[in-house]
Amino acid sequence: MKANRTVLALGEAHTSAAGASVMTTPNANMRFWIITMMLVLVGLSTLKLR
Amino acid sequence: MLLELARWLAHDIRAFNVFNYITLRAVLATLTALTISFLVGPVMIRKLTQYKVGQSVRDDGPQTHLIKAGTPTMGGALILVAIAIATLLWADLTNRFVWVVLITTLGFGIIGWVDDWRKVVHRNPKGLSAKAKYFWQSVIGAGVAVYLYYTAASPAETQVIVPFFKHLVLPLGAVSFIVLTYFVIVGSSNAVNLTDGLDGLAIMPTVMVGSALAIFAYVAGHLYFSKYLGVPYVPGAGELMVFCAAMAGAGLGFLWFNAYPAEVFMGDVGALALGAALGTVAVIVRQEIVLFIMGGVFVMETLSVAAQVTYFRYTKKKYGVGRRIFLMAPLHHHYEQKGWKETQVVVRFWIITMMLVLVGLSTLKLR
Repeated sequence: MKANRTVLALGEAHTSAAGASVMTTPNANMRFWIITMMLVLVGLSTLKLR
Repeated sequence: MLLELARWLAHDIRAFNVFNYITLRAVLATLTALTISFLVGPVMIRKLTQYKVGQSVRDDGPQTHLIKAGTPTMGGALILVAIAIATLLWADLTNRFVWVVLITTLGFGIIGWVDDWRKVVHRNPKGLSAKAKYFWQSVIGAGVAVYLYYTAASPAETQVIVPFFKHLVLPLGAVSFIVLTYFVIVGSSNAVNLTDGLDGLAIMPTVMVGSALAIFAYVAGHLYFSKYLGVPYVPGAGELMVFCAAMAGAGLGFLWFNAYPAEVFMGDVGALALGAALGTVAVIVRQEIVLFIMGGVFVMETLSVAAQVTYFRYTKKKYGVGRRIFLMAPLHHHYEQKGWKETQVVVRFWIITMMLVLVGLSTLKLR
């Protein structure tokens, strides 16, 4: 019988990042916040870029 | 630099005119600075670790901080490199304000660099002596103040704007302008330096206040918006939005590595420079008082140290034993001693800054 495989170490992405011992919980939190801030900036830039 | 290229290309391809918009270049400066931080950050941290440029931790500080000893420091150099490259790429380099702010930032960065270098590499715990540090800070701060006063193109550039009051404007003479500007620049530089004691504590408020100042710069440099909102019109100040945006991008890129538990510390090279940058931009866009409001966390931290030291000396003289107002100064250590976790202190101070920035931004409309 084949073993089940997973894409991420754990689902959801934040648990995967923190669980893979690459990041601690505060690390994962803040980095996800930074990504969101950048995405918000990209979103806001659509006001001008059209 | 790229603006010149875009303007040249726009003679043939009109689409390049889009780069004339400050707002677009500000967004691009943010993304450029962020990308530089992400690319250079890991390499720089590896090199700093390799050369053992590690932070020493004060032994009279919180015990929980002892594990931080040896974490690479002087990461502020990463921020400065990212800001400088992004600004040089996207800002209008014929604008004198851009150069004033950039040179001031790098000048304070050099002071911090020398201090860090002596402390960390030469193992000299005193670093640059306090006298020497203040002397060089004063030279740059006073130099900027004199330059801004004598190159002011209109009375609006040397007036103090009182927030929330539409018609309350205080015109300043040469001496009062220079003294005020000096204190704002040197004061904010040292205030950010004092705040830089926990992972991510100094950088995020700097990003938030810098972003708000970007809006103030844009408004101050825009003839119609400044008139509509009743803020002084400072021709050319809008270009500082690109610098502030680069600072925000570089700051966020640095936070990626500085988030708890930090892989790298900012050091004086970053803290002194960023504080000076905030002060200089605030002076140019005539929002010194608003900077005082938005940078409330920096102000609280500074006042906590001043109050602690003054009270300790006073009580020692009077009672023979020094007494303290706070469990430990600066203020962030006080809350740690009260039992808050480091990340709790940091995020709560961020929340306070967000609120203060909102109050600062509301002065655009409420007057």
